Amino acid sequence: MAEEQVLSAKNRRKASPTLIVGAILVAAVVLAALLSFIWTPYNPVQAFPADRLQGSSAAHLMGTDRYGRDVFSGILYGARITLLVGLVAVGIALLIGTPLGILAGMRRGITEEVTMRGADILLAFPALLVAIMFGAVFGASTLTAMLAIGIGSIPGFARVARSGTLQVMSTEYIMAARASSQSSWRIARRHVMPNIIGMVVVQCSVSFAIAVLAEAALSFLGLGTPPPVPSWGRMLQESQQFLGTYPMLAVWPGSAIAIAVLGFTLLGDGLRDRFDPKLNGER
Amino acid sequence: MSAKKNHVRLAAVVMAGSLALTACSAGSGGGSADGTASKTGVTLALTGEPVNLDFTTTAGAAIPQALMSNVYEGLVEIDQDGEIQPLLAESWELSNGNKTYTFKLREGATFSNGEAFTADDVKFSIERVKSDAWISSLKKKMDVVDSVKVNSDTEVAITLKKPSNAWLFDMGTLVGAIFDPSGVDDLANKAIGTGPYAIDAWNRGQSIEFATRDDYWGEKPAIQTATLRYFADAVATTNALQSGDVDVVYNMQSPELLSSFESDPKYQVLDGTSNGEIILSMNNKKAPFDDKRVRQAVMYAIDRQAVIDTAWNGYGTKVGGPVPTTDPYYEDLNDVYPYDPAKAKSLLKDAGAENLNITFTVPTRPYATAVSEIVVSQLAEVGINAKIESSEFPAVWLDEVFTKHDYQMSVVLAVESRDVLSMFNNPDYYLGYDNSKIKDLAASADAADEAGYVEGMKKVVRTIVDDAAADTLFIFPNIVVADANVTGIPANSVTEALDLTNLGWK
Repeated sequence: MAEEQVLSAKNRRKASPTLIVGAILVAAVVLAALLSFIWTPYNPVQAFPADRLQGSSAAHLMGTDRYGRDVFSGILYGARITLLVGLVAVGIALLIGTPLGILAGMRRGITEEVTMRGADILLAFPALLVAIMFGAVFGASTLTAMLAIGIGSIPGFARVARSGTLQVMSTEYIMAARASSQSSWRIARRHVMPNIIGMVVVQCSVSFAIAVLAEAALSFLGLGTPPPVPSWGRMLQESQQFLGTYPMLAVWPGSAIAIAVLGFTLLGDGLRDRFDPKLNGER
Repeated sequence: MSAKKNHVRLAAVVMAGSLALTACSAGSGGGSADGTASKTGVTLALTGEPVNLDFTTTAGAAIPQALMSNVYEGLVEIDQDGEIQPLLAESWELSNGNKTYTFKLREGATFSNGEAFTADDVKFSIERVKSDAWISSLKKKMDVVDSVKVNSDTEVAITLKKPSNAWLFDMGTLVGAIFDPSGVDDLANKAIGTGPYAIDAWNRGQSIEFATRDDYWGEKPAIQTATLRYFADAVATTNALQSGDVDVVYNMQSPELLSSFESDPKYQVLDGTSNGEIILSMNNKKAPFDDKRVRQAVMYAIDRQAVIDTAWNGYGTKVGGPVPTTDPYYEDLNDVYPYDPAKAKSLLKDAGAENLNITFTVPTRPYATAVSEIVVSQLAEVGINAKIESSEFPAVWLDEVFTKHDYQMSVVLAVESRDVLSMFNNPDYYLGYDNSKIKDLAASADAADEAGYVEGMKKVVRTIVDDAAADTLFIFPNIVVADANVTGIPANSVTEALDLTNLGWK
């Protein structure tokens, strides 16, 4: 028994391969985005018509598109858009969804019903549909895409926070805290939040991956970041006509999207393995 | 229990039957590989669908493209070389100092509702253009008509206010369409004309099916049905051609895809000309483009050859002015504004418009999105920061840009034939060009003899270009990709009509 505990503690300290691969991929995307602030080989929106549709070369690492824009610069800059959308969308969902979930878990009764049924309704609305509506009303932009994806991700956070809160609320120290007539706010801050933070972090990472994919889909449909600002989804869409003749134009943004989505998903999985108390016990 | 089973069986049979039926009705365009000669229909793929069937009240090229020459006919028609040919009029004579046209009309022509075509219909149709029933901006083309006199059932005399060279040509375009007085109640949904086809079915947003009229007055088309199918984008049209769903992709909107068809003997590729100009419009009445120097800066800032090469794979003709090469008064005006970013910058500096921020409203059409990004990049190089705003075409674009003039810069393919005056000789048009300098020039050119007309119109066009009223990026090519066995495809698109009359199979 004692030996087992030591082993699992060791396991916990040693990061799983999933976590490492995920972290590396995410780090690559973040580095690309940071790099784009200080340096890109070319201005990503500047066209050099004479150099259009070139393959990979020393001058253009990933070649050029139909207008002669450097694809590598576009990919670097696109990472910035991808992360921005992911951060804001997840931020919205985190800041709205988590408190609602905690509230529902602590208050129970009518509050819980209203919150969770509200989350169900929101869940029934695909984020894409919300984005299309926003696009129609306010015009397609990065902001509307971020808002729509963020709103679409709220139910996930609310549910995770609620189920975590329910678990915590049934523990003895909460009963003790309640017995000593501590305020709900204090219980939520001191006892509930620290105990569910792991689950929420995992949810962040998973939602981030979904947000990245959603942003790419929206841009592909022309509902995300408007041209000419480079975005991976739109680069993919523009490459569509050249699929037969210049397939690499699709491969680059496609790979970038795949790397980002895979990175955040693996990171989320790895973090869950670390944080989830049930899984820790089993392994 | 057994009764229930029978129901299920019955339902299955009905469903299978209806599936087979749909498969049959969709088969007219299928199976181009087998080369059987029994095909009686041709299906054409287009992008840009009509909002309704009424070009008298609704702008946009898709409606007359589908209906002119096919359902509606005029007294004259414009052939593939841009020449005027008789159609519902057998012949005509000029008198009264070139002001009166006396048309001898064809006998035996009928409308698709059974009514006979007579001189009264000509009078009705022309007077209707001049009435409030027509709200298309093209109706101005009929302003020159003074009176229409019915001499007999087969003879009509039309007197103009002044001699006009442009008028007879215009009679071959949509304003010259002849309507039946009893057939104009529901033009948006029902089109009744004297043409070789009648509309058999109109599936909104998808297709228009034409059936050959047995009682057509002229030579009947070789095919029984012609179908126009509308697709969202160019890739979908060529996919449909490759899968055999359509037989012809007309006015192909994705020249990058051509290479795979050019080398395949199963297909034919026609590189025709069109009378469509890709116009980069600048709202002449709104800041910052109310300043001629800013407009000129845009003209200098854009390398039109680069636009053709990048946006349209090198297809298209660089002309420098809003006149297609098939018009009689065409001349090469590329030298007026050569690509010169330095000059553009200094003009912007003179106008106090450095680091300019503008909104560029881009209709959701393939050519427009393709053109917009290269234009934005080139404008950025001279310090104009253009923000692209996508605008759904046709409905939203027509409403916001074309009707309400709520835009700064936009880009559109102007397809009306000989449309330079309807675009620029009208200050209420969406371009908002101040026509005071060309008004009199245009009027005297129209009244002059043939040579004087051409010379005068050249002057008009030069003035428009000097004023940088709009930047004509290039003349749109009319690219057609089709099954190699389809014959009679009109390769050139000289008027707005897509004439389906001569289509057939080898």
